[in-house]
Amino acid sequence: MIRNYLKIAWRSLMRHKTYTLVKVAGLAVGVACCLLIMLFVRSEWSYDRSHSKSDRLYRAWQDEAFQDQRFVNVITPLILGPTLEADIPEVEHTCRIMSMRPIVSLGANRFTESVLMVDPSFFDLFDFPLLRGNSVEPLAGPGSLVLSESAARKYFGDGQAVGQELEMELGEEPRRFTVSAVVADAPVTSSIQYEMLISYANAGTLIPQQARENWFNVNTETYVLLRDDASLEAASAKFPEMMRRALGEDYPKGGFEIYLQPIADIHLNNTLPAGNEPISDPKYSYILATVGLIILLVACANFVLLSVGHSDSRAREVGVRKVMGAQRAQLVSQFMGEALLVTVLSLLLGLGLALLLLRPFNTLISRDLAYPFDAGFAGFTLLLAVVIAGLAGFYPALVLSRFNPVRVLKGRLLVSGGRGLLRQSLVVGQFAASIALIICALFIGKQIRYFQEKDLGYDREHVVVVPTNMNRQEGTPLAERYRTALLTHSEVAAASVDLYSFAETPWVTLGFTDEQKAYQSFQYNMVGPHFVETMKLHVKEGRAFDPAVTSDLAQGALVNEAFVRHFGISDPVGKKLPGRFPSRIIGVVEDFNYESLHSPVAPLVLTLQPDSMMRYTENVGMAYGPQPRISVRLQGGSLTGQVALLKEVWAAVAPDLDFEHSFLDESVAARYQAEQRTGDIVNIASGLSVFIAVLGLFALVTLSLARRRKEIGIRRVLGAGVGAIVRLISLDYARLILIASAIAFPLAWWFMSDWLRDFAYPIDLAWWVFAIAGLAALSIAWITIGVQSARAALSNPVNSLRTE
Amino acid sequence: MLLELNNIFKWVTQGGNRVFLLKHLDLAVEQGDFLSVMGPSGSGKSTLLHVLGMLDDFNEGEYYFQGEPVHGFRDKQRARFQKEHIGFVFQAYHLIDELTVYENIETPLLYQKVSSSERKALVADMLDRFGIVGKKDLFPAQLSGGQQQLVGVARALIGKPRLLLADEPTGNLNSRQSREIMELFQELNAEGTTIIQATHSETNAAYGSRTLHLLDGSWTSTPEP
Ligand SMILES: Nc1ncnc2c1ncn2[C@@H]1O[C@H](COP(=O)(O)OP(=O)(O)O)[C@@H](O)[C@H]1O
Ligand SMILES: [Mg+2]
Repeated sequence: MIRNYLKIAWRSLMRHKTYTLVKVAGLAVGVACCLLIMLFVRSEWSYDRSHSKSDRLYRAWQDEAFQDQRFVNVITPLILGPTLEADIPEVEHTCRIMSMRPIVSLGANRFTESVLMVDPSFFDLFDFPLLRGNSVEPLAGPGSLVLSESAARKYFGDGQAVGQELEMELGEEPRRFTVSAVVADAPVTSSIQYEMLISYANAGTLIPQQARENWFNVNTETYVLLRDDASLEAASAKFPEMMRRALGEDYPKGGFEIYLQPIADIHLNNTLPAGNEPISDPKYSYILATVGLIILLVACANFVLLSVGHSDSRAREVGVRKVMGAQRAQLVSQFMGEALLVTVLSLLLGLGLALLLLRPFNTLISRDLAYPFDAGFAGFTLLLAVVIAGLAGFYPALVLSRFNPVRVLKGRLLVSGGRGLLRQSLVVGQFAASIALIICALFIGKQIRYFQEKDLGYDREHVVVVPTNMNRQEGTPLAERYRTALLTHSEVAAASVDLYSFAETPWVTLGFTDEQKAYQSFQYNMVGPHFVETMKLHVKEGRAFDPAVTSDLAQGALVNEAFVRHFGISDPVGKKLPGRFPSRIIGVVEDFNYESLHSPVAPLVLTLQPDSMMRYTENVGMAYGPQPRISVRLQGGSLTGQVALLKEVWAAVAPDLDFEHSFLDESVAARYQAEQRTGDIVNIASGLSVFIAVLGLFALVTLSLARRRKEIGIRRVLGAGVGAIVRLISLDYARLILIASAIAFPLAWWFMSDWLRDFAYPIDLAWWVFAIAGLAALSIAWITIGVQSARAALSNPVNSLRTE
Repeated sequence: MLLELNNIFKWVTQGGNRVFLLKHLDLAVEQGDFLSVMGPSGSGKSTLLHVLGMLDDFNEGEYYFQGEPVHGFRDKQRARFQKEHIGFVFQAYHLIDELTVYENIETPLLYQKVSSSERKALVADMLDRFGIVGKKDLFPAQLSGGQQQLVGVARALIGKPRLLLADEPTGNLNSRQSREIMELFQELNAEGTTIIQATHSETNAAYGSRTLHLLDGSWTSTPEP
C-alpha cells in the first residue's frame, strides 16, 4: 500500500514537472533563505553565551551623579574590581579588562594592535582556550604576553611564538614582552575581543597611583563571577553600602550606583553605552528575523497555494479510488503522506541549499556562522514539515475525500467559494509580503545611499589616510617629512597631518564645568595647519589656520557652528573659548559630519597644539589612540596607481617602516555596516520573495487557464479577440495585486518610519517609492499572466473544444 | 433475488422546486441477469446505476441487496458492501493516469486486504484472461480507448463482484471495440456475473437478456423480473 502511494506520489510529481519544480524550488529557496537569516539572528542572540560560567558572569556598570547630570558607564574605575572582591561575599572573582591600542613592533614591523590588560583571573572566568605555552599561569608577571592565534601567525608565521619577544609602546617608553602562551582567537560572537593580552601587573607602572585608586576615573571594564550559590539580588543589595563606605565624604549627593549586567545581555542591550567592543541595536535582529519569517511564509503560502490549486486534477483519482473501495482514512493518509513527502524533500533541498550558500552569506555579512547540527534545529525543521504538509495536503486529503465520488467524477464539483477564497487570500498574502519587502528594500537602500552620498560638509573622495603608528613626539617629524615629500608630486593635491583623521571618530571628548556649574563636553582634534584646505571645509566666519601666523600655533582655535550655537557665543571670532581654555577663536567652520550620520553634528574645537586644551580639561575620553595620521588628497583618477606612489614616497622617507593606508570613503561607508548588511539581506529577501510569488502566480495562472480552456475556446469562437481575453484574465489578478498593495503600504510605512526614527538624518518616506513597488508587483504579475493567457488565447479554439 | 428496488424516489432541489431524477422506480434483478437500461440522454440511467452501485443515495423507497436493506445502512456499511459485491465500469474509463495497467487493476485489491502473493496471482489471471499481459507496464495514456476500457472492466472484476454495473461502457469506443466489450460481457454473464448496463444503443442492448426503458426517471413499461 505504502509503495503504491509512494509510486503514485512520485509519478504525479514527475508528470507535472514544471509545477513540481516551482513548488519544490520555491519552498527550498524560502527555507534556505530563512535559515541563513535565522542563523545570523541566532548568532546575534548568542553573544557571550559560550562560556561555561556565563550564567554567573556579569559586567559591572555604574550610574554616577555629577552636578545634576547622570553618567552611565560600563567603563569603571580600576578600584571597583578589588573592592567588589573584598567587600561582597557573593563575588567569587572579578576580572578587569582594559582595552588599549598601542603600537607593537617586532624589528622594523610596527602595527597598531588591540591589546587587553587583564587580571590573571581572565582564564578562570572565560573559556578562551590556551593552545600552546604556559597554560597554568600565562599572565604571571608584567612581562608576560599572550598572543591570539592570528597575532602569533602574523608576527611569527608558522614558527614557534612562545618564548619570543615583542616590543609595545605603552606609556612613555617601549616595553619588552615575552610570549608566554598562545590563545585561540575570540569567536566573533564575543564581547571580549583581543589580539594580545598582558597582565594587570603592568598597571602599577602604567597608571599613576592616584588614578588607580580614584573612584572618579574610569578606565576598565569589570567582569564579575558570582558564587555558584549566590543570587544577583543578594549581591546587588550590598552595593550601595559598599559604595558609601568606599567613597566616604566623596559620596555624591545624587548617588553613585553600581549594577551588574549579565554577560549575555551585553551585545544587544543598547540602553547602556558600548564598552570595549561595539554593541548591536537589537532592532536589526528583529527586522531580519521578521524578514526571514516573511520569506518562509511566502514560500509556504506558495507551496500550499500550488498544492491546493493542483488538487483539482487529483479529484478524479479520489473519486475512482473511492469507487474502488478506498476508505476515507486511507485517502487521507495517502494524500497527507504525499504532501509530507514533497515537503520533506523540499526542506531537505532547502537545507542543502543553505549549506551551499553559507560561505557566500558569511562573506556578505562578515560573520563565521556555522551550520546548526543540533536537536533543537532538527525538531524545528520537523515541526515545520508537519505544518506545511498539513496545510498543503489538507485540501485533497480532507476536502476532496469527503465528497460523494459520483459528484467528483462527473466534474460537478464546482470550484467552491471557500477554496477560491483561500487561494485568493494566499495570492494576496504573498504579494502583500513581496510588495512590503520591496518597499523596505527601496527605502533602506535609499537611506544607505543617502549616508554615502550626503554632502558631509567635507570631501571624502580621493583621500587616503596613512597612519604613522608612532606616538606624537616621534611620529610628527616623520609625518611632516612625508607630507613635504608628497607635495612635490603633482598627483597630490593637498595633505594634512592630524592626530585623528575622519576615519577615527569619535575624536577626543573634552569636558569642563561652566559658570553655572553645569558640566559641558565637546569634541576635539589636533590638526595640522592645512586641515581645512585638505578636507575642503568651508570657513563661515574668520579664517582658517595660517602657518605664517605664529600665534595660531599656541592659542588659535577653530570651532564649528554647532559649538557657537551650543555655547551661545555671539561674534565668536576673537573670543576666548568657554571654560578655562585659553585659546581664542580665529574662525568658525560650517558644520560638517565628522561623526556618523546616526548622530547630529556635535560641538567641535580644532587646535594646532594639544597642550593648552589638555591642561585645562576636566575630562578626557578617547576611543582611538592618538598618533599622527596623514590625510592625503589626491587629484583623482586611478587610485591604485597613486597608492603605489604614496608607498614609494613612504619607503623613501621611512625605509624601515611598513606602509599602511586606508581609503577615507571606504572607512566612512563602514560606519553604516549594520544598515548595509540589513539592506543587503532585505534586498536579497525581497528579490527572492518576488521570485517565489511570481513562480507561484505563474503556475497558478497556468492551472486556472487549463481549467478555463473551454471557456476561452468558446469566447474565441464567438469572436473575442486575444486582447479581450488577456484583459479578462488579467483583470481578475490585477484586483488581487491592488488588494495586496493596500495591505502592504501601511505595513511598510509603519515598519520604515519606526526604523528611520533613530537616525539624525532620515530620508523622507516618499510616496512614489510605494507607487513604484506596487507598480513593479503589478507589472511583474501582469507579464506573467499576460504571457500565459495570450498563449491560451492564441491556441486554436477548436483544439480545446474538441477534447471535451 | 440479487437486488430489489421498491418505489425509489430521488430528487434534487433547484430554485425551491424538486426536480425528480428517479421517480417511483421498482426493479427486481435475479442472480445471473444481464439487464440493459436504455433511454435518451438525461433520462436518469447514470443516476439509477449510481444508486444501484451505492455510490449515491436516494430520497425515498427501499433497496434490498441480497435481502439486506441498503436504505437502512450507514455509510460505512454501504461502502463495505459496495467494495465487496459491486464492480463499476465507466464510460470515461476513469483509470488512474499515474498507475500502470497492472497497478490500476490491482488497486481494488489494495483496499480489500488481499495478501501480496494472492494479488499477484489474481492480477496475472485477469491480464491473461483479457489478453493484455503485454500491456501490463504501460500507462493508460499509452493505450487505445478500447484497451483502456478492457482495463476498466478488468479492474471492476478483480474483486470478484456479484454485480457488474456498466454506465455506457462503449460510449467512447468504435464499433469493433464495442463488440469486443459486449462479447466479453456475455461471456462474464455466462460464467455467472450479474450485469446491468446503461446504453444508448439498440445493438448493445441486444446483448443483454432483457431491456428496460427509462424516461425522465421512470420506466416506460412495467419491468418484469
Ligand atoms: N446532482 C444533480 N444535480 C442536479 N441535476 C442532476 C444531478 N444528477 C443528475 N442530474 C440531472 O438529472 C438528469 C439525469 O441525469 P443522468 O442520470 O446523468 O442521465 P443519463 O445518464 O440518462 O444521461 C439530467 O438532466 C442531469 O442533468
Ligand atoms: Mg449518463
